[in-house]
Amino acid sequence: MLFEERPQGVESEIAQLEARLHDMRAQLDQSTYPTPPSSHPDKSWTLPSSTIYNNKNPQFNSNTTRSTSLHALLLLSDSALPLGSFAFSSGLESYLAHNKSRRTNANPVSSFHHFLKLSIASIASTSLPYVLAAYRHPQTLDTLDNDLDASTPCVVAQRASVAQGRALIGVWERAFRASFASPGKCMSDNYEDAEAKTATSAIDEFSDALKSSFEDVDEYDLGPRGHFAPLWGVVCRAMGLDLQQTAYTFVLNHAKAVLSAAVRASVMGPYQAQNILASQSLQDTIMARIEREWNTEPEEAGQVVPALDLWIGRHELLYSRIFNS
Amino acid sequence: MLQPGQRRPLSPPPNNPTLTTLTYKYPLKLVPRAPGFVPSPDTSALSDSCPSRPIHLYLLTYGGGLLPGDHIEVTIKLEPKTRMVVTTPQGSTKIFKTEPGNDNGVSVIKGHRKKMPANDHLSDMSQQSLDVRIGRESALCYLPDPSVPYQNSRYAQIQTFTVDASARGDQRSSLCVLDWVTQGRTSRGENWNFRFWKGRNEVWATDEKTGKSRLLLRDSVILDDETQDDLASDDDEDNEETSHELNPHPDGADVPPQAQAGLLPLNVIQERTRPHGVVGTLILSGPVFDRLGTFLIEQFTSQPRIGSRNWSSSESSSAPEGTPTSRGDVTWTAARVRAGFVLVKFGAKDFETAKHWLGGLLREEGSIVREFGEEALFCM
Repeated sequence: MLFEERPQGVESEIAQLEARLHDMRAQLDQSTYPTPPSSHPDKSWTLPSSTIYNNKNPQFNSNTTRSTSLHALLLLSDSALPLGSFAFSSGLESYLAHNKSRRTNANPVSSFHHFLKLSIASIASTSLPYVLAAYRHPQTLDTLDNDLDASTPCVVAQRASVAQGRALIGVWERAFRASFASPGKCMSDNYEDAEAKTATSAIDEFSDALKSSFEDVDEYDLGPRGHFAPLWGVVCRAMGLDLQQTAYTFVLNHAKAVLSAAVRASVMGPYQAQNILASQSLQDTIMARIEREWNTEPEEAGQVVPALDLWIGRHELLYSRIFNS
Repeated sequence: MLQPGQRRPLSPPPNNPTLTTLTYKYPLKLVPRAPGFVPSPDTSALSDSCPSRPIHLYLLTYGGGLLPGDHIEVTIKLEPKTRMVVTTPQGSTKIFKTEPGNDNGVSVIKGHRKKMPANDHLSDMSQQSLDVRIGRESALCYLPDPSVPYQNSRYAQIQTFTVDASARGDQRSSLCVLDWVTQGRTSRGENWNFRFWKGRNEVWATDEKTGKSRLLLRDSVILDDETQDDLASDDDEDNEETSHELNPHPDGADVPPQAQAGLLPLNVIQERTRPHGVVGTLILSGPVFDRLGTFLIEQFTSQPRIGSRNWSSSESSSAPEGTPTSRGDVTWTAARVRAGFVLVKFGAKDFETAKHWLGGLLREEGSIVREFGEEALFCM
C-alpha cells in the first residue's frame, strides 16, 4: 500500500506544478517591458537591474535600450574604468592589521563581513550626500568639493578621494565627453538634454579651475581639490544616469573596490568575493543605506563609524603596505 | 524651551581684558573667573604681540547636564588680541534620558537626519550650540570634559567657530577645541546604549569686509542606534541587517557559527565604536597652537609600526604596547589636514585612559600651560 500511494501523491503534485508553470509562462508572455526608472525619478525604489532584465519582449526595441541610460550605466559600473580604485582598500588593510593581534581566533572572512558592513555605512553617511547634492545641483560643484575636503579628517582618505576624482575628470575629458556632451546625441528629450548640459559645463568649469590652481595657494583661500564623490554625481548626470542609478553605482563600486582589495589581501578567493557581491544581503544593505541618506543634506553628513577614521588614519603606520589607503 | 545665553569679552588694552556683556538663562550658567594667570612675554610663542591675560569662563548647567528638550545656545565673541579659556567644572556633561512615553512622532522621522536640528517633533532631544567668533590674534582654548549620554538619551551638539579670513601668518586666530563622548555610565553597565548622539564642529573663515564665508573644517560624528520603535517593518529590517551580516553562507561552510553569533548582541553604535569606550577629536589651528600641532604630528608618526618585527630579540617580537605613557590603550591618529589645521582623532577603552593620555601629551609639550595657565587643563 505504502509503495503504491507515494508515487500517486508525487504525480498529482507534478501535475499541479506543471499547471502553475504554464500559467506563469502565459503571464510572463503578456507582461510588457517594465518602465525604466529614468522616466520616473520620483517613483519608489526599484532596483536598477530590473531595467535590463526580462528579455521576453518578442521584438528588439532599439529605442528603449537607447533611451534608458543602459550604455552609460555599464560604462560607469565597469571595474575596468581607469580610476585607479584598485590602489585603495578604504581602510581594510589597516583594519586587518589592527585586528590581527586582538582577535586571533576570529575567522578572517566573518571579520571581513563586519568591515564591509561598516565601510558601506560609512561611505553612505559621509560621501553619498555629496554625490546626491552634486547630481541635483551641478552648479554647486566647487562648494561641495571644498566642503567635502573640509570634512575629510585625514590625509590618507583625502589622497584616495582626490586621486580617484581627478582620474574621473581625466576619463570624462579624454573618453566620455566626446560621446556624451555633443548636443542632441542619445537624448531625444529636450529637458534631459538641458540637464546634462548644465552638468557638462559644471565639470568643464571645475576642471579649468583645477588646472589653473596651485596646491595650497593661500592659508584660507584654498583652491579646488577634485574629490571623487561630488564629481561622480555630476559626471553621472552628464551621462544621463538617473539619481538612483548614480547612488547605487557609487555605493556598489565602493563595495566592489573593498571586495577586490580583500581578494588581493588574501582574505578570500575571487569566487567567494563574487558570491558576496552577488548576494541579496549586499543589495539590501546598499539599498537600505541609500534610502537612509536620500534626503541628507551635505552639511548634515557625518561619520557614523568613528573607528573607521582611526583605522584609515593609521594606515600610514603600517610596517608593510600593499594599498595606498 | 529655548535657553539662550550670551557673553562677549572685549579688551581695548590687550593686557586688561574685560567682559562687556554676560547674560545667561536657566538652565545655563556662565561664571567668569578673574584671570589669575599672566603669560610671560618671554615664554609666549608670540612675544612681540604681548598676549593678553586669558579670561576663564566656566560653562555650567543646573544639575550638571541636559534634560530632554533642553536647548542651550552659547554665543561668544573674542575681540582681537584676546584670549579665553572655557572649561566645564562640573565634570562630564550628562545627557539625561528621553522618557520612552513621549516619543510619538519622533521615530517616524528618525531615519532622516536632515530634519534633526530645529525640528519641533524632536522637542525631547537635548541640544547645545556653541558659536564662537575668534578675532585676529585672539585665541580660544576649549578643553571640556566629555559628554556622557545616558541610556536612551538623544543629543545633538553643534559648535561653530569663526575666524578672521583676512588675517595671515601670526595674525591668524587660534583655537584648540576638544570634543569627546563616552559610552555612558559604565558603573551602571551602560555601553553605548543611548539613542542618538551627534557632535558637529565647524570652523569657518569669514571676511568681515566682503561678508564671504568659507568652510575650513568640519568634523561630524553621528552615533545613531537606528532603531525605530513604532514602525514594526523598519524594526524588522534593522534586525535583519544586524543578524544576517553580509553572510552569503547560511550553511556555515566557511564561517564558523560561533564567530557570527559573537556579533549578534552588539547594538549598532557598539558595533561602530568597538573596541573603544570613548571616542574624540581635538582640533588645533593658528599660531598659538602651531607648536603643539607639530608636536602631536611628530608623536603620531613616531609610533611603532604596526606589524613590524623586532628582529634583535625573539622574545618581545610583536609588542608595540608598553611605551612610556602606556599609550597602547589609546588608538589615535593625527593629521595636518588643510589651512594649517591639525586634527587628532582618538579612541580609548575608557574615559580615564583617554584623559591620562591626552593630558599627558598636552603637559609634556607645555604650550597650553605656558599660554593659558594650568587652569586651562582643568578637565584633563
